[in-house]
Amino acid sequence: MAKDIVAGIFCCVGTLFFIIGTTGLLRMPDLFTRLHPSTKCDTLGACSVIVGMAVHNGWSWDLLKLAFIVCFLLLSSATCGHAIGRSALRRNIPYWKKKEANEDGHGA
Amino acid sequence: MTSVRALRNRILLFFLLLLFWIVLTASLALHELVMGAVCSAFVGVLTVSLLGRALDPRITPAVLLRIPVFMLRLAWEIVKANIDVAKIILNPRLPIDPRIVEYRTYLPGDLPRTVFSDSITLTPGTVTVELRGEVLNVHCLCPYHEEGLPGLERLVAWLFGVRKPVGEEGNG
Repeated sequence: MAKDIVAGIFCCVGTLFFIIGTTGLLRMPDLFTRLHPSTKCDTLGACSVIVGMAVHNGWSWDLLKLAFIVCFLLLSSATCGHAIGRSALRRNIPYWKKKEANEDGHGA
Repeated sequence: MTSVRALRNRILLFFLLLLFWIVLTASLALHELVMGAVCSAFVGVLTVSLLGRALDPRITPAVLLRIPVFMLRLAWEIVKANIDVAKIILNPRLPIDPRIVEYRTYLPGDLPRTVFSDSITLTPGTVTVELRGEVLNVHCLCPYHEEGLPGLERLVAWLFGVRKPVGEEGNG
């Protein structure tokens, strides 16, 4: 019973962070800033859901499989975020800046 | 000396692959282990013939043992940064001031730099957008996110047993 409650809390926290991440994805002004909420979803959101699943499952071999899933998820998420940012930078896509900092609104 | 190290790397790769196999099959039955050993040896031979080496020479058993501690400390950093970015997103005024900063790292070699830039990307608020030589271009959501970079760099340096060269001041 207690196990179910803890697992439920972890899954709810994960879902909450997914919701916040998606909100951020919609609110951010340009490509580079949108990368930040998306990596956020992957890290804390997905990891928290997986931790919840691990707690629910208890001690077994599946725990190690879940740990591997977390590792691969983090590796692919970081690589993918980096690849998107890098290709955008190489295409000279200007990045969004605060109005006061730069009047013409273009990045380097 | 180099051949001893190469052999040790191959054995290490073999045991890593075998461990992965055991986790995936979730059994310690003899026929599974034999099948796993055959497959691990095959993949190991394939890796050596394709890449010319078994593992990056920086991956040693000591580094492998430090990885769980490293991941826990990184997870703590990620949780802290996550809560911070969540506050920014939920703030109605959206107080962001993004910029791309150049960061010069003292970490040697491809592997530590890759791990460092991956850690930066995983930490919310900072994304590595370019890695060329020892210079990283990091996109920060807010200027103060940049302040977390030296801490992460120290963490990665600790993982690989790298010491900061003395006499080099003024990172970034």
